[in-house]
Amino acid sequence: MIEITLEVNGETRRLSVESRRLLADVLRQEFNLSGVHIGCAHGACGCCTVHLDGKPRLSCLTFAAQCDGKSVRTVESVGGVGADHPLQKAFRSEHGLQCGYCTPGFIMTLIPFVEEMTAERRMPDEEEIREAMSGNICRCTGYQGIVEAVRKVIGENLEEGAQA
Amino acid sequence: MTQQMDRPKHIGARIQRFEDTRLLAGTARYIDDIRLPNMLHLRFVRAQMAHAKVLEIDTEALEDIGFPTQVFTGADIGDLSIKAHQDYPEMQYSEQPLLARERVRFVGEAVAAVLADDAYQAEDAAEMVFVDYEPLQVVTTMDQARDPEVPGLFDGWRTNIFVERQMKGGDIAQAKAEAAHVIKRTYTTQRQAGVPMEGRGVAAEYDPASRMLTVWSSTQIPHLVRTYIAEELGLPESRLRVVAPDVGGGFGVKGQVFPEEVLVPWLAMKTGRPVKWVEDRREHLTSSIHARDHSHTLEAYVSEDGRLLGLKADISVDVGAYSTFPFTAAGDPGMAAKVMPGPYDFQHYEATFRALATNKCPIGTYRGVGRPSAVFAQERLMDDIANELGLDPIEFRLKNVVRDFPYTNALGFTYDPGSYAETLEKMRDLLAEDRAAAEASSNDPDKRIGVGLACFVEQTAHGTPDFTRRRVPIETGYIAARVEMTPDGQALVDIGLQNHGQGHETVMAQVAADALGIDPKDVHVRHGDTLTTPYSVGTWGSRGGALGGGAVHVAAGRIADKLKAIAGHLLQSDPQKIVLQNGIAHPEGQPDRHVAVAKLARTALRNVDQLPAGMEPGLEAQYSLDGPNDGTYSNAVHAAVVEIDTKTGKMQLKRFVVVEDCGTILNPLIVDGQVRGGVVQGIGSAMLEHFIYDEDGQPLTVTFADYLMPLATEIPEIELHHIETPTPLTPLGAKGLGEGGAIGPAAAIANAVADALGIEVTKTPLNANALWHLARQAEKNRAE
Repeated sequence: MIEITLEVNGETRRLSVESRRLLADVLRQEFNLSGVHIGCAHGACGCCTVHLDGKPRLSCLTFAAQCDGKSVRTVESVGGVGADHPLQKAFRSEHGLQCGYCTPGFIMTLIPFVEEMTAERRMPDEEEIREAMSGNICRCTGYQGIVEAVRKVIGENLEEGAQA
Repeated sequence: MTQQMDRPKHIGARIQRFEDTRLLAGTARYIDDIRLPNMLHLRFVRAQMAHAKVLEIDTEALEDIGFPTQVFTGADIGDLSIKAHQDYPEMQYSEQPLLARERVRFVGEAVAAVLADDAYQAEDAAEMVFVDYEPLQVVTTMDQARDPEVPGLFDGWRTNIFVERQMKGGDIAQAKAEAAHVIKRTYTTQRQAGVPMEGRGVAAEYDPASRMLTVWSSTQIPHLVRTYIAEELGLPESRLRVVAPDVGGGFGVKGQVFPEEVLVPWLAMKTGRPVKWVEDRREHLTSSIHARDHSHTLEAYVSEDGRLLGLKADISVDVGAYSTFPFTAAGDPGMAAKVMPGPYDFQHYEATFRALATNKCPIGTYRGVGRPSAVFAQERLMDDIANELGLDPIEFRLKNVVRDFPYTNALGFTYDPGSYAETLEKMRDLLAEDRAAAEASSNDPDKRIGVGLACFVEQTAHGTPDFTRRRVPIETGYIAARVEMTPDGQALVDIGLQNHGQGHETVMAQVAADALGIDPKDVHVRHGDTLTTPYSVGTWGSRGGALGGGAVHVAAGRIADKLKAIAGHLLQSDPQKIVLQNGIAHPEGQPDRHVAVAKLARTALRNVDQLPAGMEPGLEAQYSLDGPNDGTYSNAVHAAVVEIDTKTGKMQLKRFVVVEDCGTILNPLIVDGQVRGGVVQGIGSAMLEHFIYDEDGQPLTVTFADYLMPLATEIPEIELHHIETPTPLTPLGAKGLGEGGAIGPAAAIANAVADALGIEVTKTPLNANALWHLARQAEKNRAE
């Protein structure tokens, strides 16, 4: 067993984990964060994506023991129980989800992309948006609603910035 | 059938989905989120050989493992099994034991169940169980399965053919005699599957105090799972509850009753503790179900002037090792034989179809069921005929599609009104520029553009007679809805569907809201739990909107009638003239003389002294809606535009267009999502997805690095156009929609490849390797 300290969605906890425990399992079981979904457990589908020190990371390919002292964000921290983050709202309006299983992974993958584009003050082209989500598999939507959600939220951000 | 909607307000509106909030927030509850006190975790030991005798299961190593474990094998479970018998006299039966007894028949079959207090420990323990096998002769090809010299997979079998039957109508000999052209081809579609992002999982808990067994399963068919468990385990069904929590995709895969769904509750009762099993991705890819794997030989009889006179079909499907419940081993080949006449007008048809047993994962249902393969064969054939006769493929189809409705086809199935010619004509307009570009590229040495289309009908929401005819254990196809109002004027809809992405929680609210004159936000739709929902067959066969929506409409309409009677009484007005809308009831044309729907609900449920004399208190209604005898036929035309590098075969899918007709559109946001999602799965079928077994029956595609599904970068925007031909056969005029998107892409893309390269394409997948070979072949043909 290994002693680690994790800061997860603002809560810091010290815990003792087996060296082989996946970060995904620790988040799900120890922190009750059921929004972390395991789709393949071999790093191919992106369902389990969380932020580790602000960067998207596959929690099924990460041992909890590797994360000592790090900060973790999961989908639960993004827009609360009302899913009020602008990207979540855009997923809703553009029908960017159906069964919802892959959705937290897409949200966590795409938030940094949306922030980056907003910071660069530019609208990415279709190819760039699709490239940004090419590590995530969605089996329901055919991706189009997700692409449109990303475009919509970046558009809103750019417009807001232009007005400010 | 019944009266259709007047004054729809919410039906047809592009309303955002209510279920999205919990799915986006991460607060949805999927099967692996079920955690029960004192729960045991189950891990299977699965067969590593495709066909073998089980000589010994050695669990000795578990004695020193350092934590408590329990192991169960085939010897412990008696004759419990999945029995999926179709009542055909010539059918050879298979039974899939819940845990293998004496013999394994495919890699991945469950051999032993290992239980421990923790999922990691269960996995450790399962790895320490040693199984000694004696290999048996393996059957991996359709030819081997048909070889009478090869021993049967089951004791007493003659050959490895589950069933071989015929379907016919008209006089095929006459069609052949009259034909000026006879065109014969063989087309094959590969083994693939639905592969939802969430795999399967089951949890179960038995409460001795109430004698209630509760089973949670990631299933599309909770009531059917309940009945199967009750019958197989000999339990009273009234004390069994099956809950499908949030389900992370199904696509038909989770529309079977799996051995694990019976075994897990059995283990919970046996051990006296809750038990949970959640499969990993390898298990899902090898041990759930596969789909397709068809070979069709078609012979078309065509007149001098390009009219189809008749069609003869020989259909084989490699259905793997066991018949699956409730659609059986005969399901896929039978469906392909049944739907092969498609949208075309000819009256002579004969099909032979057979289900072949091999040492592979069993075949089950996947979006389209038989139709993607049938449409691939049929629509490739239409292009090959047009080519041979020197006809334009669209004009050839327009000459042959059904135009007068209702139309009864060669097998006696009656098609309700559709838009077969209109969708083709619309597509012809949409493709004009692409077809010109394809023509212009036909001599380009480097890059060729090709345009291909697929025109099809889809029998959806079929009713009980369709299942009776096939003598299939599903037996029926109705959907029931119970609608109830609460004293505050809100509504509860309990529906026998299971929502795993289709948007039922929104669409059913729209339908109920229109009937009751309230806001869809004030309708709470519940589903997936046998404790709260009326008995139904679940979600499959494109019946959610057509039958589920229809059932809600009729049940809510009965409550509306009662609300109107109460309003008439309170307003001293004729109940027949009361209108319910915007939360109020008023006489038609007199919105100022109104009473709130909430007040009517409170009157019916609480202030019952104010009800009309003799009226029964309460506001609840239930309606079960069976499908039309022959179903209702949706139709669509799909088209693909591709660009192919003539040297390497590298292909770019430049454009994909759909013109579809699913009758009344209940929510355009959801309809578009269903079609687009289906199309992208169909693109995966056409170009990527392939389960491969070697000659020993070892699966070679056991991870997402081997089994490739479409990524966002590989597909274009899917362009949609709608034509609405409401059906008179369902209450809302809606036809089935969920599966259609997946049916056309393989045919459309293959036709586009054939058009681009000027060669015939006879099989899928059209992956990079296949395209390279096709490009080579095309070059060789040109050189000759």
